[in-house]
Amino acid sequence: MSRRSPSYTDPVSDTSAISLHRRPWQEWATLAARLILGVTVLVAGLLKVTRLDASVQSVRLYQILPWDVAGFVGIALPILEIVVGLLLITGTFTRLAAIAGSALMLAFIIGIASVWARGISIDCGCFGGGGAIEASLTAYPLEILRDTGLLLTGAWTVWRPRAPFAVDNWLFAPLDPMVSEPEPIAEDDKESTR
Amino acid sequence: MSQSNREQLRRDQAAQAKQKRLNRIIGVGAVVLVVVLIGVFIAVLFQNQAHTSTTSSATPPNATGSKDGIVVNPGKFTAGAPVVELFFDYQCPVCKQFEGIYGASLKSLAASGAIELRYRNMTFLDNNLNNDASLRAGIGAVCSDFAGKYSTYHEQVFANQAAKEGDGYTDEMLRVTIPATVGITGADLTSFQSCYDKQTTKAFVSGTNEAASKAGVNATPTFHVNGKDLSLQTIAGVKPEGLGDLIKQNA
Repeated sequence: MSRRSPSYTDPVSDTSAISLHRRPWQEWATLAARLILGVTVLVAGLLKVTRLDASVQSVRLYQILPWDVAGFVGIALPILEIVVGLLLITGTFTRLAAIAGSALMLAFIIGIASVWARGISIDCGCFGGGGAIEASLTAYPLEILRDTGLLLTGAWTVWRPRAPFAVDNWLFAPLDPMVSEPEPIAEDDKESTR
Repeated sequence: MSQSNREQLRRDQAAQAKQKRLNRIIGVGAVVLVVVLIGVFIAVLFQNQAHTSTTSSATPPNATGSKDGIVVNPGKFTAGAPVVELFFDYQCPVCKQFEGIYGASLKSLAASGAIELRYRNMTFLDNNLNNDASLRAGIGAVCSDFAGKYSTYHEQVFANQAAKEGDGYTDEMLRVTIPATVGITGADLTSFQSCYDKQTTKAFVSGTNEAASKAGVNATPTFHVNGKDLSLQTIAGVKPEGLGDLIKQNA
Protein backbone atom coordinates (compact mmCIF):
# COMPACT_ATOMS: atom_id res chain seq x y z
CA MET A 1 0.00 0.00 0.00
CA SER A 2 1.13 3.42 -0.71
CA ARG A 3 1.04 4.50 2.89
CA ARG A 4 4.16 2.48 3.63
CA SER A 5 5.96 5.22 1.81
CA PRO A 6 9.61 6.07 2.38
CA SER A 7 10.04 8.14 5.48
CA TYR A 8 11.40 11.22 3.77
CA THR A 9 7.98 12.05 2.32
CA ASP A 10 6.48 11.89 5.76
CA PRO A 11 9.41 12.59 8.04
CA VAL A 12 7.31 13.24 11.11
CA SER A 13 5.81 9.78 11.30
CA ASP A 14 8.89 8.26 12.91
CA THR A 15 10.82 10.84 14.85
CA SER A 16 13.15 8.33 16.45
CA ALA A 17 14.54 7.42 13.08
CA ILE A 18 15.24 10.92 11.83
CA SER A 19 18.60 12.44 12.34
CA LEU A 20 18.58 16.04 13.48
CA HIS A 21 19.63 17.59 10.19
CA ARG A 22 16.56 16.20 8.52
CA ARG A 23 14.08 17.96 10.77
CA PRO A 24 12.30 20.71 8.92
CA TRP A 25 13.14 24.19 10.17
CA GLN A 26 9.53 24.62 11.32
CA GLU A 27 10.11 22.14 14.13
CA TRP A 28 12.96 24.21 15.48
CA ALA A 29 10.84 27.33 15.19
CA THR A 30 8.16 25.58 17.20
CA LEU A 31 10.67 24.57 19.84
CA ALA A 32 11.72 28.20 20.18
CA ALA A 33 8.12 29.46 20.19
CA ARG A 34 7.13 26.85 22.75
CA LEU A 35 10.00 27.75 25.04
CA ILE A 36 9.51 31.53 24.76
CA LEU A 37 5.80 31.33 25.59
CA GLY A 38 6.25 28.54 28.13
CA VAL A 39 9.02 30.19 30.13
CA THR A 40 7.20 33.52 30.09
CA VAL A 41 3.92 32.21 31.47
CA LEU A 42 5.71 29.93 33.93
CA VAL A 43 7.66 32.87 35.36
CA ALA A 44 4.53 35.03 35.40
CA GLY A 45 2.65 32.32 37.27
CA LEU A 46 5.43 31.69 39.79
CA LEU A 47 5.78 35.40 40.58
CA LYS A 48 2.05 35.63 41.27
CA VAL A 49 1.41 32.39 43.11
CA THR A 50 3.38 33.39 46.19
CA ARG A 51 1.35 36.60 46.52
CA LEU A 52 -2.22 35.65 45.79
CA ASP A 53 -3.66 38.73 47.50
CA ALA A 54 -1.79 40.93 45.07
CA SER A 55 -2.87 38.74 42.17
CA VAL A 56 -6.54 39.02 43.16
CA GLN A 57 -6.14 42.76 43.61
CA SER A 58 -4.55 43.12 40.17
CA VAL A 59 -7.46 41.31 38.53
CA ARG A 60 -9.95 43.52 40.38
CA LEU A 61 -8.19 46.68 39.22
CA TYR A 62 -9.18 45.88 35.63
CA GLN A 63 -12.80 46.38 36.76
CA ILE A 64 -14.05 43.89 34.22
CA LEU A 65 -15.13 40.87 36.24
CA PRO A 66 -17.58 40.91 39.16
CA TRP A 67 -15.88 41.20 42.54
CA ASP A 68 -16.22 37.54 43.55
CA VAL A 69 -15.37 36.15 40.12
CA ALA A 70 -12.26 38.33 40.04
CA GLY A 71 -11.35 36.83 43.42
CA PHE A 72 -11.41 33.33 41.97
CA VAL A 73 -9.65 34.27 38.75
CA GLY A 74 -6.90 35.98 40.71
CA ILE A 75 -6.21 32.69 42.51
CA ALA A 76 -6.69 30.29 39.60
CA LEU A 77 -4.79 32.31 37.00
CA PRO A 78 -1.29 31.81 38.46
CA ILE A 79 -1.90 28.05 38.82
CA LEU A 80 -3.13 27.87 35.22
CA GLU A 81 -0.10 29.83 34.03
CA ILE A 82 2.30 27.52 35.84
CA VAL A 83 0.67 24.39 34.40
CA VAL A 84 0.46 25.79 30.86
CA GLY A 85 4.06 26.95 31.14
CA LEU A 86 5.27 23.52 32.23
CA LEU A 87 3.27 21.77 29.51
CA LEU A 88 4.71 24.05 26.84
CA ILE A 89 8.28 23.76 28.08
CA THR A 90 8.10 19.97 28.23
CA GLY A 91 6.06 19.72 25.02
CA THR A 92 3.21 17.82 26.64
CA PHE A 93 -0.16 18.11 24.93
CA THR A 94 1.60 20.86 23.02
CA ARG A 95 -1.32 21.90 20.85
CA LEU A 96 -3.80 22.10 23.74
CA ALA A 97 -1.28 23.93 25.91
CA ALA A 98 -0.57 26.37 23.10
CA ILE A 99 -4.30 26.97 22.64
CA ALA A 100 -4.58 27.71 26.36
CA GLY A 101 -1.49 29.94 26.27
CA SER A 102 -2.80 31.84 23.25
CA ALA A 103 -6.19 32.24 24.91
CA LEU A 104 -4.46 33.70 27.98
CA MET A 105 -2.54 36.19 25.83
CA LEU A 106 -5.69 37.14 23.95
CA ALA A 107 -7.50 37.71 27.26
CA PHE A 108 -4.61 39.84 28.54
CA ILE A 109 -4.55 41.92 25.37
CA ILE A 110 -8.30 42.50 25.58
CA GLY A 111 -8.03 43.34 29.28
CA ILE A 112 -5.21 45.84 28.81
CA ALA A 113 -6.89 47.42 25.78
CA SER A 114 -10.12 47.74 27.72
CA VAL A 115 -8.39 49.41 30.67
CA TRP A 116 -6.55 51.72 28.30
CA ALA A 117 -9.76 52.64 26.48
CA ARG A 118 -11.54 53.41 29.76
CA GLY A 119 -8.72 55.66 30.91
CA ILE A 120 -7.86 53.60 34.00
CA SER A 121 -4.21 53.88 35.03
CA ILE A 122 -2.81 50.61 36.29
CA ASP A 123 0.25 48.45 36.06
CA CYS A 124 -0.89 45.35 34.16
CA GLY A 125 0.23 43.11 37.01
CA CYS A 126 1.37 40.63 34.42
CA PHE A 127 4.36 39.50 36.45
CA GLY A 128 2.92 40.04 39.90
CA GLY A 129 2.85 43.42 41.58
CA GLY A 130 0.41 45.63 39.78
CA GLY A 131 -1.63 48.37 41.32
CA ALA A 132 -2.98 51.75 40.40
CA ILE A 133 -0.27 54.01 39.06
CA GLU A 134 0.04 57.47 37.64
CA ALA A 135 -1.22 57.87 34.09
CA SER A 136 2.26 58.90 32.94
CA LEU A 137 3.69 55.59 34.16
CA THR A 138 1.35 53.32 32.25
CA ALA A 139 2.93 51.22 29.49
CA TYR A 140 -0.11 49.89 27.66
CA PRO A 141 1.32 49.94 24.09
CA LEU A 142 4.42 48.08 25.22
CA GLU A 143 2.40 45.57 27.24
CA ILE A 144 0.05 44.92 24.32
CA LEU A 145 2.98 44.61 21.92
CA ARG A 146 4.65 42.07 24.17
CA ASP A 147 1.48 40.02 24.58
CA THR A 148 0.84 40.14 20.84
CA GLY A 149 4.30 38.74 20.21
CA LEU A 150 3.60 35.98 22.70
CA LEU A 151 0.21 35.36 21.09
CA LEU A 152 2.01 34.84 17.76
CA THR A 153 4.35 32.24 19.29
CA GLY A 154 1.26 30.53 20.70
CA ALA A 155 -0.58 30.62 17.38
CA TRP A 156 2.47 29.21 15.59
CA THR A 157 2.67 26.38 18.10
CA VAL A 158 -1.04 25.61 17.68
CA TRP A 159 -0.49 25.44 13.92
CA ARG A 160 2.75 23.40 14.07
CA PRO A 161 2.89 21.68 17.45
CA ARG A 162 5.50 19.11 16.41
CA ALA A 163 8.96 19.84 17.73
CA PRO A 164 12.03 18.12 19.10
CA PHE A 165 12.45 17.52 22.83
CA ALA A 166 8.76 17.03 23.48
CA VAL A 167 6.99 14.59 25.75
CA ASP A 168 4.43 14.38 22.94
CA ASN A 169 6.98 12.53 20.79
CA TRP A 170 6.83 9.71 23.32
CA LEU A 171 3.22 10.16 24.33
CA PHE A 172 1.84 10.16 20.78
CA ALA A 173 4.54 7.97 19.26
CA PRO A 174 3.07 6.13 16.32
CA LEU A 175 2.52 2.44 16.73
CA ASP A 176 5.08 0.07 15.32
CA PRO A 177 4.15 0.00 11.62
CA MET A 178 4.62 -3.76 11.43
CA VAL A 179 2.08 -4.24 14.21
CA SER A 180 -0.22 -1.43 13.27
CA GLU A 181 -0.58 -2.56 9.68
CA PRO A 182 -4.23 -3.58 9.97
CA GLU A 183 -5.45 -0.10 10.89
CA PRO A 184 -2.83 2.48 10.05
CA ILE A 185 -5.17 5.02 8.52
CA ALA A 186 -6.37 6.63 11.70
CA GLU A 187 -2.79 6.89 12.93
CA ASP A 188 -1.54 8.51 9.78
CA ASP A 189 -4.40 10.95 9.75
CA LYS A 190 -3.56 11.85 13.29
CA GLU A 191 0.05 12.43 12.38
CA SER A 192 -0.76 14.67 9.49
CA THR A 193 -2.89 16.90 11.69
CA ARG A 194 -0.48 17.02 14.56
CA MET B 1 -4.92 -22.25 9.26
CA SER B 2 -1.65 -21.18 10.79
CA GLN B 3 -1.75 -18.21 8.45
CA SER B 4 -4.99 -16.97 9.97
CA ASN B 5 -3.67 -17.67 13.48
CA ARG B 6 -0.72 -15.45 12.77
CA GLU B 7 -3.09 -12.90 11.40
CA GLN B 8 -5.19 -13.14 14.53
CA LEU B 9 -2.13 -12.83 16.74
CA ARG B 10 -1.00 -9.77 14.89
CA ARG B 11 -4.41 -8.22 15.21
CA ASP B 12 -4.39 -8.86 18.96
CA GLN B 13 -0.95 -7.38 19.30
CA ALA B 14 -2.02 -4.36 17.32
CA ALA B 15 -5.12 -3.90 19.45
CA GLN B 16 -3.03 -4.25 22.59
CA ALA B 17 -0.49 -1.72 21.39
CA LYS B 18 -3.25 0.68 20.48
CA GLN B 19 -4.87 0.26 23.87
CA LYS B 20 -1.53 0.79 25.60
CA ARG B 21 -0.95 3.99 23.67
CA LEU B 22 -4.44 5.23 24.48
CA ASN B 23 -4.00 4.41 28.16
CA ARG B 24 -0.71 6.32 28.15
CA ILE B 25 -2.34 9.39 26.67
CA ILE B 26 -5.35 9.28 28.96
CA GLY B 27 -3.10 8.62 31.96
CA VAL B 28 -0.87 11.63 31.35
CA GLY B 29 -3.92 13.76 30.57
CA ALA B 30 -5.57 12.73 33.81
CA VAL B 31 -2.43 13.53 35.80
CA VAL B 32 -2.29 17.02 34.29
CA LEU B 33 -5.98 17.63 35.05
CA VAL B 34 -5.65 16.39 38.61
CA VAL B 35 -2.60 18.59 39.18
CA VAL B 36 -4.54 21.66 37.97
CA LEU B 37 -7.57 20.88 40.11
CA ILE B 38 -5.54 20.15 43.24
CA GLY B 39 -3.45 23.26 42.65
CA VAL B 40 -6.49 25.52 42.39
CA PHE B 41 -8.18 23.78 45.33
CA ILE B 42 -5.14 24.21 47.58
CA ALA B 43 -4.69 27.84 46.54
CA VAL B 44 -8.35 28.69 47.25
CA LEU B 45 -8.17 26.89 50.59
CA PHE B 46 -4.91 28.60 51.49
CA GLN B 47 -6.32 31.97 50.55
CA ASN B 48 -9.48 31.48 52.63
CA GLN B 49 -7.36 30.32 55.54
CA ALA B 50 -5.27 33.48 55.36
CA HIS B 51 -8.39 35.63 55.49
CA THR B 52 -10.24 33.95 58.33
CA SER B 53 -7.73 34.10 61.12
CA THR B 54 -8.75 32.07 64.11
CA THR B 55 -7.24 34.50 66.59
CA SER B 56 -9.53 36.54 68.77
CA SER B 57 -11.14 39.38 66.92
CA ALA B 58 -12.81 42.48 68.25
CA THR B 59 -14.97 45.23 66.84
CA PRO B 60 -13.94 48.71 67.97
CA PRO B 61 -16.49 50.74 69.96
CA ASN B 62 -16.95 53.38 67.25
CA ALA B 63 -17.26 51.03 64.29
CA THR B 64 -19.88 51.89 61.71
CA GLY B 65 -23.01 49.76 61.72
CA SER B 66 -21.84 47.71 58.76
CA LYS B 67 -18.28 47.47 60.20
CA ASP B 68 -16.81 49.09 57.09
CA GLY B 69 -15.03 51.85 58.99
CA ILE B 70 -14.91 53.95 62.13
CA VAL B 71 -17.05 56.94 63.01
CA VAL B 72 -14.68 59.72 64.03
CA ASN B 73 -17.28 61.91 65.75
CA PRO B 74 -19.86 59.54 67.22
CA GLY B 75 -22.82 61.29 68.82
CA LYS B 76 -21.57 64.73 67.81
CA PHE B 77 -23.09 65.16 64.37
CA THR B 78 -26.57 66.53 63.92
CA ALA B 79 -29.29 64.36 62.47
CA GLY B 80 -29.23 64.51 58.68
CA ALA B 81 -25.69 65.85 58.54
CA PRO B 82 -23.85 64.83 55.35
CA VAL B 83 -21.93 61.57 55.71
CA VAL B 84 -18.33 62.17 54.71
CA GLU B 85 -16.21 59.08 54.15
CA LEU B 86 -12.47 59.22 53.71
CA PHE B 87 -10.81 56.15 52.19
CA PHE B 88 -7.10 56.02 52.88
CA ASP B 89 -4.11 53.73 53.15
CA TYR B 90 -1.49 54.50 55.79
CA GLN B 91 1.33 53.95 53.29
CA CYS B 92 -0.12 56.30 50.70
CA PRO B 93 1.92 59.51 50.35
CA VAL B 94 -0.94 61.49 48.81
CA CYS B 95 -3.12 60.50 51.80
CA LYS B 96 -0.50 62.03 54.08
CA GLN B 97 -0.56 65.23 52.00
CA PHE B 98 -4.34 65.26 52.08
CA GLU B 99 -4.29 64.78 55.84
CA GLY B 100 -1.81 67.63 56.18
CA ILE B 101 -3.90 70.05 54.13
CA TYR B 102 -7.51 69.13 54.91
CA GLY B 103 -7.23 66.98 58.05
CA ALA B 104 -7.67 69.79 60.58
CA SER B 105 -10.54 71.27 58.61
CA LEU B 106 -12.31 67.91 58.46
CA LYS B 107 -11.84 67.39 62.17
CA SER B 108 -13.29 70.77 63.07
CA LEU B 109 -16.28 70.12 60.81
CA ALA B 110 -16.68 66.78 62.54
CA ALA B 111 -16.34 68.30 66.02
CA SER B 112 -18.90 70.98 65.22
CA GLY B 113 -21.36 68.32 64.13
CA ALA B 114 -21.75 69.72 60.61
CA ILE B 115 -20.77 66.36 59.11
CA GLU B 116 -20.67 62.73 60.13
CA LEU B 117 -17.06 61.75 59.49
CA ARG B 118 -16.16 58.16 58.79
CA TYR B 119 -12.65 56.85 58.22
CA ARG B 120 -12.44 53.83 55.98
CA ASN B 121 -9.06 52.16 56.21
CA MET B 122 -7.64 50.32 53.20
CA THR B 123 -4.55 48.11 53.08
CA PHE B 124 -4.07 47.38 49.39
CA LEU B 125 -0.67 49.09 49.28
CA ASP B 126 0.68 46.14 51.27
CA ASN B 127 0.18 44.13 48.10
CA ASN B 128 1.77 46.73 45.86
CA LEU B 129 4.71 47.36 48.17
CA ASN B 130 5.01 43.75 49.28
CA ASN B 131 5.00 44.44 53.02
CA ASP B 132 2.41 44.49 55.81
CA ALA B 133 2.86 48.02 57.14
CA SER B 134 -0.59 49.27 56.07
CA LEU B 135 -2.23 46.38 57.88
CA ARG B 136 -0.15 46.82 61.04
CA ALA B 137 -0.76 50.56 61.12
CA GLY B 138 -4.47 49.89 60.63
CA ILE B 139 -4.45 47.33 63.44
CA GLY B 140 -2.75 49.87 65.74
CA ALA B 141 -5.17 52.64 64.80
CA VAL B 142 -8.24 50.50 65.42
CA CYS B 143 -6.75 49.22 68.71
CA SER B 144 -6.40 52.85 69.79
CA ASP B 145 -10.17 53.28 69.40
CA PHE B 146 -10.62 51.17 72.54
CA ALA B 147 -8.73 53.91 74.39
CA GLY B 148 -10.78 56.59 72.64
CA LYS B 149 -7.75 57.89 70.72
CA TYR B 150 -8.53 56.79 67.19
CA SER B 151 -8.52 60.14 65.46
CA THR B 152 -5.29 61.42 67.04
CA TYR B 153 -3.56 58.07 66.53
CA HIS B 154 -4.60 58.20 62.87
CA GLU B 155 -3.14 61.69 62.57
CA GLN B 156 0.13 60.57 64.16
CA VAL B 157 0.48 57.57 61.84
CA PHE B 158 0.46 59.92 58.87
CA ALA B 159 2.76 62.35 60.66
CA ASN B 160 5.27 59.50 61.02
CA GLN B 161 4.95 58.12 57.52
CA ALA B 162 8.32 57.12 56.07
CA ALA B 163 9.77 59.58 53.58
CA LYS B 164 10.27 56.78 51.07
CA GLU B 165 7.15 54.89 50.05
CA GLY B 166 7.61 51.24 50.93
CA ASP B 167 9.69 51.75 54.06
CA GLY B 168 6.51 51.30 56.09
CA TYR B 169 6.21 51.52 59.88
CA THR B 170 8.18 49.73 62.58
CA ASP B 171 6.36 47.90 65.38
CA GLU B 172 8.23 50.13 67.82
CA MET B 173 6.67 53.18 66.15
CA LEU B 174 3.16 51.78 66.16
CA ARG B 175 3.04 50.17 69.60
CA VAL B 176 5.30 52.47 71.66
CA THR B 177 6.10 55.83 70.08
CA ILE B 178 2.71 56.84 68.69
CA PRO B 179 0.72 55.65 71.75
CA ALA B 180 3.05 57.75 73.94
CA THR B 181 2.54 60.77 71.69
CA VAL B 182 -1.24 60.53 71.75
CA GLY B 183 -1.33 59.83 75.50
CA ILE B 184 -2.31 56.18 75.78
CA THR B 185 -0.91 55.27 79.22
CA GLY B 186 -1.20 52.86 82.13
CA ALA B 187 -3.79 50.13 81.84
CA ASP B 188 -4.91 51.53 78.50
CA LEU B 189 -1.38 51.13 77.14
CA THR B 190 -1.19 47.56 78.38
CA SER B 191 -4.43 46.59 76.70
CA PHE B 192 -3.50 48.59 73.59
CA GLN B 193 -0.23 46.72 73.24
CA SER B 194 -1.92 43.39 73.88
CA CYS B 195 -4.47 44.27 71.19
CA TYR B 196 -1.66 45.19 68.77
CA ASP B 197 0.49 42.15 69.56
CA LYS B 198 -2.41 39.69 69.25
CA GLN B 199 -3.68 41.49 66.14
CA THR B 200 -7.12 41.51 67.71
CA THR B 201 -8.37 44.07 65.21
CA LYS B 202 -6.86 42.41 62.13
CA ALA B 203 -10.16 40.90 61.01
CA PHE B 204 -11.86 44.29 61.34
CA VAL B 205 -9.17 46.05 59.28
CA SER B 206 -9.27 43.34 56.60
CA GLY B 207 -13.02 43.81 56.60
CA THR B 208 -12.85 47.57 56.08
CA ASN B 209 -10.42 47.06 53.21
CA GLU B 210 -12.65 44.45 51.60
CA ALA B 211 -15.77 46.58 52.04
CA ALA B 212 -14.05 49.52 50.36
CA SER B 213 -12.85 47.34 47.49
CA LYS B 214 -16.37 45.94 47.07
CA ALA B 215 -17.65 49.51 46.99
CA GLY B 216 -15.41 50.01 43.97
CA VAL B 217 -12.77 52.11 45.67
CA ASN B 218 -9.32 51.06 44.48
CA ALA B 219 -7.25 54.19 44.90
CA THR B 220 -6.62 56.46 47.86
CA PRO B 221 -7.37 59.02 49.08
CA THR B 222 -10.98 58.77 47.98
CA PHE B 223 -13.57 61.12 49.36
CA HIS B 224 -17.29 60.31 49.47
CA VAL B 225 -20.11 62.63 50.42
CA ASN B 226 -23.32 60.70 51.09
CA GLY B 227 -21.88 57.82 49.11
CA LYS B 228 -21.00 59.92 46.05
CA ASP B 229 -17.43 60.41 44.92
CA LEU B 230 -16.04 63.90 45.30
CA SER B 231 -12.91 64.01 43.18
CA LEU B 232 -9.55 65.13 44.49
CA GLN B 233 -9.33 67.68 41.69
CA THR B 234 -12.56 69.27 42.88
CA ILE B 235 -11.38 69.31 46.48
CA ALA B 236 -8.00 70.70 45.48
CA GLY B 237 -9.89 73.63 43.97
CA VAL B 238 -10.91 74.92 47.39
CA LYS B 239 -8.94 76.12 50.41
CA PRO B 240 -9.22 74.03 53.58
CA GLU B 241 -11.64 76.56 55.08
CA GLY B 242 -13.87 76.17 52.03
CA LEU B 243 -14.20 72.41 52.47
CA GLY B 244 -17.36 72.68 54.57
CA ASP B 245 -19.19 74.63 51.88
CA LEU B 246 -17.99 72.25 49.16
CA ILE B 247 -19.36 69.32 51.16
CA LYS B 248 -22.69 71.11 51.63
CA GLN B 249 -22.93 71.80 47.90
CA ASN B 250 -22.31 68.13 47.10
CA ALA B 251 -24.39 66.61 49.87
